[in-house]
Amino acid sequence: MNEGYRVLSLDDLERLKSTDGTLTLLPLRRTIGFRPFGVNAWLGEHAGDQVIERHREQDGDEELYVVVRGCATFTLGEETFAATAGTLVHAPPGTLREAIAAEDDTLVLAIGAKPGKAWEPAPWEDFYVAFAHRAAGRVDEGRALVVDTLTRHPGTWQGPFNAACFEALEGNDDAAFEYLRAAFDRAPALIGKYASDDHDLHRLQADPRWRELFG
Amino acid sequence: MTHLHVDELDRIELDDGFEWRPVRRRFGIRAFGVNAYAPGATGRIVEEHTESTLGHQEIYLVLRGRARFTVDGNEHDLGPGELVFVRLPSLRRGAVALTDDAVVLALGGKPGSPHEPSAWEAMFAAVPAAREGRWADAIRMHEEALVEQPGSAPLLYNLACMESRGGRPLDALLHLTRAIALDPKWAEYAAKDTDFDPIRAEPGFPA
Repeated sequence: MNEGYRVLSLDDLERLKSTDGTLTLLPLRRTIGFRPFGVNAWLGEHAGDQVIERHREQDGDEELYVVVRGCATFTLGEETFAATAGTLVHAPPGTLREAIAAEDDTLVLAIGAKPGKAWEPAPWEDFYVAFAHRAAGRVDEGRALVVDTLTRHPGTWQGPFNAACFEALEGNDDAAFEYLRAAFDRAPALIGKYASDDHDLHRLQADPRWRELFG
Repeated sequence: MTHLHVDELDRIELDDGFEWRPVRRRFGIRAFGVNAYAPGATGRIVEEHTESTLGHQEIYLVLRGRARFTVDGNEHDLGPGELVFVRLPSLRRGAVALTDDAVVLALGGKPGSPHEPSAWEAMFAAVPAAREGRWADAIRMHEEALVEQPGSAPLLYNLACMESRGGRPLDALLHLTRAIALDPKWAEYAAKDTDFDPIRAEPGFPA
């Protein structure tokens, strides 16, 4: 084993389902420790599966998607098109983008970063992995990663918000509300709407502490 | 253009015998380095090189076909969906295609730094123009790149080469002098570079 380089197949990577089961991440960047910018792979196991979630990169990331195998139906802004293996799709910041597998076993590489800024690992990668550990029954491992991520990314509202979701899913309501309160203190104008819309937190809405926090 | 197939990219065959298919330039990507490569006349698909100068980490992903990578003296035969991540910039790496249809996607950047387009991209892009003697086009490509990287000695040196061969001796002398002021090693290169034969006898030739 040479520590200066590594050889692997994308199929060697873990396949991590999102909490709602709609997405499958193959965490390339995190696995190999690549630091210059973000790069991961997303898999649509079956035709019709979501490969790239519908979103915009509102924080200014530009992205390139590369269809490694299979075929995906991409939506980019107003345009929808079929992207076969070898197709490159460039999504400027803020552009609506989404990809649905048009064939089984469709694999898409996603590369992204902000122009003109030194790239830092985004906490979403660690939270995604932490939630996947939880879903796979490795709750302690997932929670340790949540706590570690909060330590490495202090001061954001997204950190405690995700931690609240994690604990709510685990039935630890006291911890969930403690994290929600921390998130609310950091972004009071945002948290009420996000919390109301988040399926992970729905059960907490019946708790009197919800009304105390959000009115 | 927001999307295209890797076979629809420009194909620029370089002197080392591999074909460069510019991705970053084609899409105007500013945030990261990304390009595709295919085999040229010699079968090479990734040039033998290190990233010691730029300090880049690189990922080479085989998109199609098969290629034999040599990294730090070790050989690895890779197929579609397989990749090499070269963490240490100092490691020598390169690849030859094992199938004619091979395509490799290369991703690269320097950890902890905002991405800057590499000077070599403009120089590679200007190769077809230089090969055909379209010096004005080759010079324009270098000048455009220098707007963004005014302190790039390799770009200044290569611009001077184009200007020397394109019949602009004063501009060539000026840019060669600036390249050498930034890095004296370019004087050694200029002393042996036949691109400068048209201006070597000019007063003030700096090498």
